[in-house]
Amino acid sequence: MDKNGYQRQALSIYQFISDHLYFNRPDMEIKGERFNSAILLSLLTGLKKGKELIIGEPGLGKTTSAEYICSLVYQFPLGVIWGSEVSGHPEQTEEKIIGRPDLGKLNRGEEDVVWTNFSQIPVKIVDEINRLPETKQSMILDGVDRGNWEYLNEMIINDEYCLFATANYQDGGTNTIIAPLVDRFDVMVESRYPGANLSFLIGKNKRKDHLLRHPKYEKDFYHILKSKISYDKKISKLEEACNHFGEYLQQALGIKPFQKQDREQIREEMERIELDLDASAFARMLLAELSFCERYGQKRVVENCEEGCHYTGYLCHQIKNCASNRLPSSLKQYAQGLAWLLEDSEIDIEHIQAIVPYALAHRIQWKDEILSQKERAKRDDPFPIFLAKESVKMVSQRYREQNEHLKDALAVGSKIYQGGNLEPLEGDHPLYVEIKKDLDSRKRP
Amino acid sequence: MEKMKPIAQSKKGSPSPPDKEPGMVRNPFEEFNSFMASTYPLPLDQIVQSTEAVMDQIRWGYEKLLEEEAKELVWMVQYNTIIKAYEIAEKYVKELDYSAEDIEDFCFALENTQKIPYLIPGPAGVYISALCNYAKEEEIVLKLSELKTEINLLGFRLPKEKRLRIDGDTGDFTGIGLEGGELFVEGNAKNWTGAGMRGGKILVKKNIGLHTGEWMMGGEIYVGGRIRGLGNIVEGKVYEREKLVYPGKAKYPNLYY
Repeated sequence: MDKNGYQRQALSIYQFISDHLYFNRPDMEIKGERFNSAILLSLLTGLKKGKELIIGEPGLGKTTSAEYICSLVYQFPLGVIWGSEVSGHPEQTEEKIIGRPDLGKLNRGEEDVVWTNFSQIPVKIVDEINRLPETKQSMILDGVDRGNWEYLNEMIINDEYCLFATANYQDGGTNTIIAPLVDRFDVMVESRYPGANLSFLIGKNKRKDHLLRHPKYEKDFYHILKSKISYDKKISKLEEACNHFGEYLQQALGIKPFQKQDREQIREEMERIELDLDASAFARMLLAELSFCERYGQKRVVENCEEGCHYTGYLCHQIKNCASNRLPSSLKQYAQGLAWLLEDSEIDIEHIQAIVPYALAHRIQWKDEILSQKERAKRDDPFPIFLAKESVKMVSQRYREQNEHLKDALAVGSKIYQGGNLEPLEGDHPLYVEIKKDLDSRKRP
Repeated sequence: MEKMKPIAQSKKGSPSPPDKEPGMVRNPFEEFNSFMASTYPLPLDQIVQSTEAVMDQIRWGYEKLLEEEAKELVWMVQYNTIIKAYEIAEKYVKELDYSAEDIEDFCFALENTQKIPYLIPGPAGVYISALCNYAKEEEIVLKLSELKTEINLLGFRLPKEKRLRIDGDTGDFTGIGLEGGELFVEGNAKNWTGAGMRGGKILVKKNIGLHTGEWMMGGEIYVGGRIRGLGNIVEGKVYEREKLVYPGKAKYPNLYY
């Protein structure tokens, strides 16, 4: 682990937001450190170029927490971030989200695109995404997934970007977020009520937004964004402006935001962190439970479990859908981020266990009987995160009971895969069956 | 003619090398290849392992005894054959480290395991007696009531200061050549019980067979039930239901009284 002080810098940003901008209570603990999940995961989203869905009641800081993080991780003044946000409402259009024709040029018979600030800057916030009709949600799918924004016959590609989307709980004005879009979010977190006392302080204090604002720099940013230069040149000019604003923040607030090369260096460091054997075996165990079906080969949302299935006690029996391939990727990305932040040299099982509920909560479709069984259970978390945390507890218990045997089975699997003349180990968990399937598929010509 | 451009070039212009050779499938378990299971033996596993090791040794001694003394799987109970068998049993038993529980386990292993090929009641009894006589414990309890076979010669040469209690029935020649020890049988004993005993006590809770105390030179035999017949007793006492029957009215061997 490089000792360049980036972790301390990231934690100072966390602390600054926690102390001055976003009043909160810690709601997760890892390795003796307590964090507020909304700030922590937003920080990791910013650093890891992730995609985060923030849910919560109206007025509890879903959007503002994302704005503060974006401002301090990417050195954008709040005014610019506000001007680049997409707000979810039924009348939203592609022209307001991605870009519009350059009307002046169009009058001259030329085709050119004026890109929106949202599509151009690396921090992307979609406010109240579930107020967008389902057809409009798919409009931003491509951009969200790959960083490609297309309009007319032109395209810009964001090399570096992160996405924050907020969603209110279901009410009369909301739509469901379409399944492919939900799956594209790496994590889901709740922006929670900080408690009556802290909430009272928020009301008492004057607005804190001005801390991260600077009208002059904001004008400069708008000027660059509006300019007719190529997107690549625009990005380098924006970066210069960001650095100026970052210097201002350091002088005015004593907080040092990350420059682009810092973020790149951090990502390189994070990428080098690998899962240790326990973390890997635990993640495999979890994925096996979330995808396994003995009868039908894998979980499918259109198929139901058979009565008297041997695997009734596992998660596969409680859920409808199959884990997507994006889940392990999200898990690894955020666990890498967390391990890096805590200055650990490897991702261990604690990092994975801390991240899983937030990576899983929005992706699992629970069976109705499970929902009705647990709906009224005493809890602190929103229902989907609570259910995901419960499932992590269950899988962790199973992992404690059989981790040595499970790792043995994987080790034997590796030896067989390399041509060893061994028999796969037997065990009572879907993962043992999955290991056998992988080995069998290799045997076939 | 223009030169064809190479496909998939990296930024620096050199073709980017593939991660793996073409056609090679990545081993999905690769990271576990070097995993060596750290074994944390459970206490019960350790107990079972050590018990099995002791049992193997005891079993080995018994097999050697059979090899040397019952080659034709026939063993005639004669004075010299018993002495010889006991000497061989002693030779192997002396080298073993075992406990009283292991003796009981061996008695059951004689009947229930495939590892011991033959249960020949004579040599088995001599061997068990040797095990009892050389055990560290002064008091040995063998719960043999579940055994289908009645083992002969139990308590052979039981020395002074040793107490052997047998829950269940015993076969012929129980407690013969007793050398001062105390033998309790919580069931029935068959014929020739206490034959040639020199001292000590034999207590049989239920009934006893013929030739009881044949050539006994000392000691006492107590029988809670009936004595089917006394042997030619040289010296010692025999009680039947707390009543002294020898020396007494039973002067003749195998007299049904």
